[in-house]
Amino acid sequence: MDVLLSVEGLEKSFKDKKVLHNISFDVRKGEIMAILGPNGAGKSTTIRNIMGIMYPDEGKITFHGYNEIPRNKIGYLPEERGLYKNVKVMDILLYLADLKDYPQNKAKERALTYLKKFDLEGKEHVKMEELSKGMAQKVQFISSILHEPELLILDEPFSGLDPLSQELLKEEIRHLARNGAAILLSSHQMNVVEEMCDRLFMIQQGQKVIYGTLDDVKMKYANFKCTIRGKNNLEKLEQIPDVQRIESKEDSTVLYLHKDIAPAKWLKKLPDDMVINELVMDRISLHEIFIDVATNKNLLLANEQMGEGDEHA
Amino acid sequence: MRNTMKVAKWEIKRNLKNKSFVIGLFLTPILMVVFGFLGNLMGGDTPDNENAKIYVHDELNTFANLEAMVEQYKLPFELEKTNIQEADVEKKLKDAENTAYFFIDNRAFNEGTLPFYTSEDFPESISSQVQIFTEAVKLVQMQNLGLTEEQLAAVSTPITIQALSVDQLGKNSEQEQAMDQEQLMQRIVPGVFAGVILLSIIFTGMMIFQSASQEKKDKIAEIILSSVTPGELMQGKIVGYFVLGLVQVLVFFAFGIPFILWAMNDLPLFEYLFVPELLLFLLIAVLGYLLFAAIFVGIGATMSDISTAGNFQGLVIMIPFVSFFFIGPVASDPTSILAQVLSYVPFTSPVILLFRLVMLDQWSWVEISVSLAILIMSVWLFMKLAGKIFKVGILLYGKNATPGEIWKWMRA
Repeated sequence: MDVLLSVEGLEKSFKDKKVLHNISFDVRKGEIMAILGPNGAGKSTTIRNIMGIMYPDEGKITFHGYNEIPRNKIGYLPEERGLYKNVKVMDILLYLADLKDYPQNKAKERALTYLKKFDLEGKEHVKMEELSKGMAQKVQFISSILHEPELLILDEPFSGLDPLSQELLKEEIRHLARNGAAILLSSHQMNVVEEMCDRLFMIQQGQKVIYGTLDDVKMKYANFKCTIRGKNNLEKLEQIPDVQRIESKEDSTVLYLHKDIAPAKWLKKLPDDMVINELVMDRISLHEIFIDVATNKNLLLANEQMGEGDEHA
Repeated sequence: MRNTMKVAKWEIKRNLKNKSFVIGLFLTPILMVVFGFLGNLMGGDTPDNENAKIYVHDELNTFANLEAMVEQYKLPFELEKTNIQEADVEKKLKDAENTAYFFIDNRAFNEGTLPFYTSEDFPESISSQVQIFTEAVKLVQMQNLGLTEEQLAAVSTPITIQALSVDQLGKNSEQEQAMDQEQLMQRIVPGVFAGVILLSIIFTGMMIFQSASQEKKDKIAEIILSSVTPGELMQGKIVGYFVLGLVQVLVFFAFGIPFILWAMNDLPLFEYLFVPELLLFLLIAVLGYLLFAAIFVGIGATMSDISTAGNFQGLVIMIPFVSFFFIGPVASDPTSILAQVLSYVPFTSPVILLFRLVMLDQWSWVEISVSLAILIMSVWLFMKLAGKIFKVGILLYGKNATPGEIWKWMRA
């Protein structure tokens, strides 16, 4: 896949505080790339630098095939967003498309199609202030894709949407990617990221923590874990082979396993006298990795690096 | 530039589609015309001097002289002889309107005063005009003293001191005075025209302020800034509200000009209006707008909500109106040091300079040039500063900027 956007060595400070440290990643045509991180990690700052709304102290942002920021080819949905309140839906959509130099008649046609698609048919002459929050969110999303962008930057696009609208939005984002658009998606909802994204970039306190394809990351960090309900002696548990770490909570114990174990084989190694009321065997989820990073525990990553001794790109 | 025009067009369209803006657009001129019209009607209702009547109880046989004076000076009342006694006057006047009783008798010589009884609503202006009748009474007195005609003429001719300023020397003919009058009108009419434009666009310009802070409040700024630069957005607003101001001016004149032509018949308004001075006045008005617009747009971008404006922001909004505090002193002496200094201070110069140029019949081109140069430089400087403030401020959601922060952005 062709790279559309490259971010290299981005550094940014506010006052004396450094908020971005050497951030580098690519976004390719036709892929959905997630940028993840807890609040205040530097996601929105990174995005604002890409958009040319802020300027980095160091580093380079390249749009391949363009000499400068191709504003007209980018669709942007900021995290903090809204639209003029006392203006009709169609007027604002046409205005934003006009700012992108998109032909008005085509914009109007597409606006009507999308309004219909998002269950907003007949709302084109309604004022923004009369729409519900979810409806307004959908109009904002339409405004960001109306001009057929090559790069779509979505900062928390699903916040405030009901599950039905979330599905509609997800489907549309996937559709855009299939048609060749490069999509940079920032989100807190790990299930969404797991479901949709091809690659991800996780950032914490302005620094890169994880960067790679979803499969890579899962292979790398998402080891198997075994959750057992039942009261067992800790000493006994520690004797079980291929266990990296044990977390016990009342009757429940989570055994974090080494990387390349074969689940079926490993299960056979459990002592016969273990109390097992319930047993779940699954992989560590992106959500858990995220919580781990966000709470600064870095246990998963530390274990991983200790166990593997390698550095992940 | 294209984006600037797009933003400008949007601001114009958005406001012209907004009901409250359109109502405001027509309400002010309609109210002014209505009040002007009512005022004119009311004016016709005030006690009419022409109907004033003075009954003269004349014991000195000077009534003919008084009538001659009324005729000569075109005094706005009628005289009529009466034999009424002073004791009955009070009763008569109680029910009378616009009436006075004047008693001319020997008290003039003995006591030096003559009683002049008036009804309640009798115009005071006439009460003072009748003082001129003392001349006629004095004449009787002098005739009684037995002066010759020649002596009489000499004594009774009053001597007045006529003030002539140097510019009036050599052009005392009526024609020249009329030309003076016309020149004055040629300054006042375009001056008032430019003044109305300046005020209108400043008032509309204040909406820039609201527009900028509203964009922060509605959190649309970042979406817009993904398509245009902050500079283009800011300039678009300034141009857009300038045009909206002109729309306001047009509506204003559409109501005002027919009204003025109706209220002041025969005023050759357009002849007075389209003179070369108008161009200078308009230049001052436009520069004034640009200066204040830069201030409004910059400060608007530092606030997320007009109702939470701090003292600092509130103070800055008042800047364009500071000039009006000085209108009084400048009017009383347009050449004073204060007036000159205020024409050099950029915040006051648009209004004060315009006002002074209308008042003064001789212009100091040096002063005008310096004043304009300072104004142009200030516009440039304030646009730059506003741009810097706007760039950062417009994205600072949820809080108002402190003066310290604004200072830091300006130095950045």
